[in-house]
Amino acid sequence: MTESALTAIAAALCIALSTIFPAMGQGKAAKAALESIARQPEAAKDIRSTLLLSLALMEALTIYGLLIAFMLVGKIR
Amino acid sequence: MGEPSAPILKIFGILDITPEVITMLAIIAVFAVLGLLLRRSLKERPGRLQNIIEMGVGYLDSFFTDIMGRKNARKYLYFLASLFCFILFANYSGLIPGVGISPYFKAPTSSLSVTLGLAALTFVFIQVSAFRAGAKHYIKHFLTPIVPLLLMDEIIKPASLALRLFGNIFGEETVIENLYELLPIGAPIIMMALSLLFCAIQAMVYTMLTASYLQEFLED
Repeated sequence: MTESALTAIAAALCIALSTIFPAMGQGKAAKAALESIARQPEAAKDIRSTLLLSLALMEALTIYGLLIAFMLVGKIR
Repeated sequence: MGEPSAPILKIFGILDITPEVITMLAIIAVFAVLGLLLRRSLKERPGRLQNIIEMGVGYLDSFFTDIMGRKNARKYLYFLASLFCFILFANYSGLIPGVGISPYFKAPTSSLSVTLGLAALTFVFIQVSAFRAGAKHYIKHFLTPIVPLLLMDEIIKPASLALRLFGNIFGEETVIENLYELLPIGAPIIMMALSLLFCAIQAMVYTMLTASYLQEFLED
């Protein structure tokens, strides 16, 4: 395999893996938040802002993967 | 990726005027004109424009009150709210047709230099306001065996803020560009409609995290 083919595969794996696992974590967080809002609707406001904060922190991991993937794609000749 | 764009004009050979700088100056000019205009026509019974702005300020006030509490939110609203407005407008400026394609305008936050600059500003703001809120408490916070880790944490927090903002906006712009090449009419609309939502969320997340990082110092 040539070097650029390997780089392309690395970029694809990079974005794929860094999307799959944070998405699973975000799903779990959203599930727990929805359950607790359903159980206790009066706390919805606090839960929503905390959920958004934690989702943003998980989203950052995906973004790092995306940046690395862009960097790798730029190296393909 | 994220390299500074080619300068349009060089002042004294060091100050580069890039498309990002022009867009930022345009945003600042809009804010300045709006502020001067509104200050002159400030009334007890608000007109249409004043009503809209008052609603926005009220919304931001309650948003930060939820995170930091009434007293701190009022104290730091001036910085956090202007940061929010600037990032929001900088993100949305990428959605104006022609921005990014024309050589004179480009969304500022899609450049790593701008977001890192914002992060440096945030870093200084957090440290200085934490120190001024209570010098003794601030120094005590760092007097633990794990000082190197704490210091690293303080640097990494703003850096991750900058990378998150840059990655989101840059990724969005790249996706829109690729969709445009795929099908010039119609295809980018889908992503641009989603961008309307994401840009606001990114601006909100940035200021929300800044506020909660500062709150960590202020409480206990």
